[in-house]
Amino acid sequence: MNEKVTFTVDGKQLEGKQGQLLIEACEDSGIHIPRFCWHKRLDPVGMCRMCLVEIDTPRGKALVPSCTTQVSEELIVETESDTVKKAQEGVLEFLLINHPLDCPICDKAGECPLQDQTMAYGPGESRFIEEKRHFEKPIPVSDIVLLDRERCILCARCTRFSDEISGDPLIEFIQRGNKTQVNTFPDEPFKSYFSGNTVQICPVGALTATSYRFKARPWDLKKVSSTCNCCSLGCSVELNVSQNKMLRILGEDNEFTNQGWLSDKGRYNFEYLHSENRLLNIHSRENEDYQTINISDAIEKIKDKIKDLDNPEIKFIVGANSTNEEYFAINKFANSLNRNEFLSKDKSNVYFADDHIHNGYFSEEYTNATFEDLDNSDAIVVWAEDIKDNLPVLFLRIKKAVKNGVKLVVFGHTNTALESLADLYLGAEIVSNNFELKTSLSNIQELKNIIDSKKVTTIIGKSTPLQKKDSLDTLINHLQKVSDLKIFNCFSKANTFGAIQHIDQIKGLNEFCTEYENSNKNIVFTIGANPVNSSFFGSKIKDILEDTDYVISLDIFKNETTELADLILPTTAFGEKEGTITNMEMRVMKQNKILPDPGSTLSEWEYLIMIAQSLGKDINYDSVNELNSELASQFTKTEALPTFDNLNKPSNLFGILNQKEINLNIKDIDQDSPSLLMVKRLYGDSSTQINSPSISMLGSERFIELSEFTLDKYGIESNVATLTQGSSSIFVNIKLNNLLPDNLVLAPINRRGFEKLDSTKDFDLKETKNMKDLSVN
Amino acid sequence: MSWETERLEKAKQIIEMYPQKRSALGPLLYLAQDKDGYISNESIVEISGLIGITEVQVQSVASFYSMYKQEPTGKFLLSVCKSISCEISNSSDVINSVKNFTGLSNNETDDENFFTYESVECIGACGGAPAIQVNYETVEGLTPDKAVDLCKWLKEEEPEIVVADELQDKFGGVKSFDWAIADNNGATSPVPGFQTYDTSKEKK
Amino acid sequence: MKETLLLTKHMRENPEDSHSLKSYEKNGGYESVKKVLKSGTPEEVLQEIKDSNIRGRGGAGFPTGVKWGFLAEDEERYLVINGDESEPGTFKDRILLERDPHQLIEGMIITCFAANISKAFIYIRGEYAKPARRVQSAIEEAYEKGYLGKNIFGSSMNLDIVVHLGAGAYICGEETALLNSLEGRRGEPRLKPPFFPAVKGLYNKPTLVNNVETISSVPWIMSNSGKDYSSLGVEGSTGTRIFSLSGHINNPGNYEIEMGSSFGEFVDTLGKGVKNKAIKAYIPGGASAPWLRGDQLDVKMTIDDVANEGSMLGSGAVVMMDEDTNLVLAAKSLVSFFAHESCGQCTPCREGTTWLENILERVASGRGRLSDIDLLLDVCDNISPGLTWPPKMTTICPLGPSATASIVSLMKDFRSEVEVLLPKKVVIG
Ligand SMILES: Cc1cc2nc3c(=O)[nH]c(=O)nc-3n(C[C@H](O)[C@H](O)[C@H](O)COP(=O)(O)O)c2cc1C
Ligand code: SF4
Ligand code: FES
Repeated sequence: MNEKVTFTVDGKQLEGKQGQLLIEACEDSGIHIPRFCWHKRLDPVGMCRMCLVEIDTPRGKALVPSCTTQVSEELIVETESDTVKKAQEGVLEFLLINHPLDCPICDKAGECPLQDQTMAYGPGESRFIEEKRHFEKPIPVSDIVLLDRERCILCARCTRFSDEISGDPLIEFIQRGNKTQVNTFPDEPFKSYFSGNTVQICPVGALTATSYRFKARPWDLKKVSSTCNCCSLGCSVELNVSQNKMLRILGEDNEFTNQGWLSDKGRYNFEYLHSENRLLNIHSRENEDYQTINISDAIEKIKDKIKDLDNPEIKFIVGANSTNEEYFAINKFANSLNRNEFLSKDKSNVYFADDHIHNGYFSEEYTNATFEDLDNSDAIVVWAEDIKDNLPVLFLRIKKAVKNGVKLVVFGHTNTALESLADLYLGAEIVSNNFELKTSLSNIQELKNIIDSKKVTTIIGKSTPLQKKDSLDTLINHLQKVSDLKIFNCFSKANTFGAIQHIDQIKGLNEFCTEYENSNKNIVFTIGANPVNSSFFGSKIKDILEDTDYVISLDIFKNETTELADLILPTTAFGEKEGTITNMEMRVMKQNKILPDPGSTLSEWEYLIMIAQSLGKDINYDSVNELNSELASQFTKTEALPTFDNLNKPSNLFGILNQKEINLNIKDIDQDSPSLLMVKRLYGDSSTQINSPSISMLGSERFIELSEFTLDKYGIESNVATLTQGSSSIFVNIKLNNLLPDNLVLAPINRRGFEKLDSTKDFDLKETKNMKDLSVN
Repeated sequence: MSWETERLEKAKQIIEMYPQKRSALGPLLYLAQDKDGYISNESIVEISGLIGITEVQVQSVASFYSMYKQEPTGKFLLSVCKSISCEISNSSDVINSVKNFTGLSNNETDDENFFTYESVECIGACGGAPAIQVNYETVEGLTPDKAVDLCKWLKEEEPEIVVADELQDKFGGVKSFDWAIADNNGATSPVPGFQTYDTSKEKK
Repeated sequence: MKETLLLTKHMRENPEDSHSLKSYEKNGGYESVKKVLKSGTPEEVLQEIKDSNIRGRGGAGFPTGVKWGFLAEDEERYLVINGDESEPGTFKDRILLERDPHQLIEGMIITCFAANISKAFIYIRGEYAKPARRVQSAIEEAYEKGYLGKNIFGSSMNLDIVVHLGAGAYICGEETALLNSLEGRRGEPRLKPPFFPAVKGLYNKPTLVNNVETISSVPWIMSNSGKDYSSLGVEGSTGTRIFSLSGHINNPGNYEIEMGSSFGEFVDTLGKGVKNKAIKAYIPGGASAPWLRGDQLDVKMTIDDVANEGSMLGSGAVVMMDEDTNLVLAAKSLVSFFAHESCGQCTPCREGTTWLENILERVASGRGRLSDIDLLLDVCDNISPGLTWPPKMTTICPLGPSATASIVSLMKDFRSEVEVLLPKKVVIG
């Protein structure tokens, strides 16, 4: 496929790859051929006919679409002949006869391919005097997407995306010929985690997003490239800002990561930035109430506290949303407290707030995988938390690889969305309700066929915090033995990899709780973390924090954890800070600042440096640049250091793959069989999401999943029930999921109303028969 | 409201005939229309489950083909041809007489759900132009008067089975070719009478 | 002029029961296939078909032997019979399906033997309920006798045939649209490349798609020989063809003749002439074909002769239009047909055909504008650049360009009929 061929375009000799599409080969050589339906990431359909060119054939010249014609040796092409120009003009006239031309009120105006190409290639005037096609004006096809069929030019981009890429074909062509239109089925909305991509790739304003409608004109937008922090995949994005407000996030086509796509969460989870609930001032608890104080008083308070407590024990709980530079600063700060006056040398005091994290497979005997490896391996083996919900764009990458023939093996019970793609789904017969392997892997013949002596990429992580690492070790050891293995440690939250790279030795909340028993309960910093709400140890941590002398929280919203703090320092958020993040391939990518710091917020590192300096520590950084160049120098490969300078080079826009030694020290949770399998869903009650109106309701449905067997066991026949645990009970919708083993009930963890549930305790389930049952709480 | 057992059994048989389930979509749509007179949303949901594609994918296919009706159709579907050979053989007169008699315009169904009228493209009866189909049973060599007689007869007789040969004998004229072989099979609903789909019956 | 009956002989001679297996066998049916299965090889069958020089009867006229030769190797291959016959004017496959289904089945068995195929489909347009019933009954008879199914005629060959009804979409006659339809999809033509049926056809497997008449010719060719077949007709248009004659004609019908005589002779003898009138124009090969004028009746009925006149023999549908015909309405009927049948994928076809229909509608009802003639031709030109025949295309398949044929014919030879409908040029002096 990579053989070079030479062909002629408009009299010029060009080079391309054998089998490459003409439109793409021309683009690579700087010749732009107009198009509507063709999209680099979708199978070509040759429908719009805008990309017609003339080629020489044995029977004379012929008009062919360059989006479906492959380049071949000696191909002779004309892209600007009179015939081509006439055809392009014709196509544009045809497209415009039924187009409403309501550009003045259309979101797309100003960045509309139809508008632009009409200027460049279109006829001067319309000869159409007939009545245009009419459809009901915008109809909502989902909670976040609207469809205006009059504007649609039937390029099939949205329908192809939903069918080929995301695999939820819920939007389709209806009718035929001149009556053709795009639509959804009544009562079956375009409910997809990826619907926003169709809005982005629609070449006209037929699909629009509720969050952006009528908000801006494209020419007023300020734009910057950045990296999404919704999960650890690290999708490349473009941030669009007008009048200091984030209005839109678009996917950028990063060949190595997201290839242009985003999940709807990544795309629409930004309105919180301008929420009136944002923390904009420093709050200090005086008696029962919080008071607003200024920064120097705050620093003074901390300094006094540390002095007063005399050699206090200080611990840090960090979340996943900081930049590498911030983690680097946290590490410096924590160490400075450690080494000098306060703590003994060997003791680490930084804890990571995600119960899914474990020691992973990082040592030299393991090879770290990249997303490209997914396409290039023979098989992919997944055993981890739900990929579609936690790393949505990774789900797309897996789907793409499978479409191209890579085999997929999935171990149960959390990745049921992958089952239909999988060649081998190893559910209840192989994996116990406790997530232990029931059979020796070498006994599974189908598995053997797929992986033995093959190139295998595995995505491996704890399916639930309660899973024992032993089980994962068994799988990894087996794969190491029988296949040529590359590994993704599946830690899904934002910049988890940045945290574990830049903090010398990180521990988990399990360790936080146990170590606390023997410590002085002096000072705890929580930095962008809300363990009280999102951890298995939530209630324990709550008790601990209540018991602690002084709690300092750095965050962007008030939440269950900051409520317990004595001092709350408001921090900057995504788009308001510059820095780098590391994704699960160990690719370091740039996050850029395009918004001013709101209110009195500062970056996390700025607070820490100020505190350090007030304590007389020798930590001097004036800018995030300085932090960056120092942390970059600690990476192993010297030729590609992830400095801002390097990352800003055009050749590194896709990020820099580099590694650092990783040292984790995390133990399993000492607890057996979960009765409730608590899993994280894409949408839920994170403070960013509930403060982003367009998507705030998407995570509101209260449901549980269970198999028919389990349903029968509880004698439930309807699709609603009441789940009771101790004194609390919640009304839930029932979803049938026959891939779940008997007696295992799955429930979303990050869901309003579900915070009271304890996955280790027994529960009862009763069918809800009448409305009276609903009022119990 | 899902399909009754009998129809589901038939559906499963049809699916069996094909190497891939989705191929049965067309026949299953006929099965839906045979019972309901059109492709109802309930049937779309049912079919989507049977062959494992989404509802909107079923709808997308159903709405592409003009013989799958999107609205309830009468007991007798009258399809008068208007393509070239019929057009130049005065099919417009036949069209007008049928429209006048039934009081229907194109693609309309009367209140009793008895007649649906449509003008259609070529039905392969060009040698016997102008031509009409009643539930896809062809009558050739029609005149405007005979067309009205045909409608009246349908109204009076309400035949359970529509048989081309019988209609041709009673109301037809010049034929595309000699039909020769006597035939008593016909359609029982506004879908083609075809035994594999159980929509064909023999008139005794 | 006389008919030469190869495919229609049996049905003519046995009008009461030519469709039954008994009658078919009594008259030598299934002898060909028995002979082939007993002592023939696939290579021999292919050679006979090549020798016959038979060209596809579906409209495109592609040499059948060459097509069979292209079929790619694969464990799974399919034969699909194109019985969608929806081109206005055409009703020849209908008679073959209705009155001699066993001849088609026998042809299919031989074809599948030659191409090592064990699953075949007959795609019949939905409106052909009666022909489909006859074919289905014949298939059941054949299964009962062991002529279909496993080890047919006691040989090692297996073959299953499924009859599949279309549902009202002319475009499904186009072979790749037909395959989509058979897969339970919208009947939209596929892109060629890469979807050449012989390589990537039904379910992406190598697939032969042939017309009913083409495959119905196979038993005759095999019980006689390819050479015998090619000695009929003329070079380039060998054998017989069934022509569907309709329109303003005294004796419309299907006639099986050797190719080579003139349209005039055909109309006068077999068609018994046109009622006391002269012919103004005629369609030589189905609705897609450009018209020929009444003074062109001496054109020979061969693929090449008709092509030389700028039209095509196409599906073998001959429609006569006498001097009283309103050609604007005739053209409008044809254009409406294509607009109604456009699948809607390609912009020029989806938008252009309906636009043309609307303009013609205006012109025919006296609401035309002076500029409409130029407009009509220019819109045609944007669908079919240069307005030549065979057409150049801005579209995926030839349906769009086909819609321009009647308009171009009208404007070329009968422009005055349009001009009288338009407002007069007013000269302000
Ligand atoms: C718009 C369109 C409609 C067609 N309709 C038919 C048809 O109804 N029947 C048919 O046999 N071929 C039809 N064809 C031709 C088929 O694509 C194909 O060439 C033919 O079935 C091949 O069989 P043959 O080689 O035996 O002729 C049509 C082609 C086009 C472009
Ligand atoms: S030319 Fe017309 S019928 Fe053919 S593929 Fe294009 S839109 Fe469909
Ligand atoms: S871009 Fe090639 S046909 Fe649309």
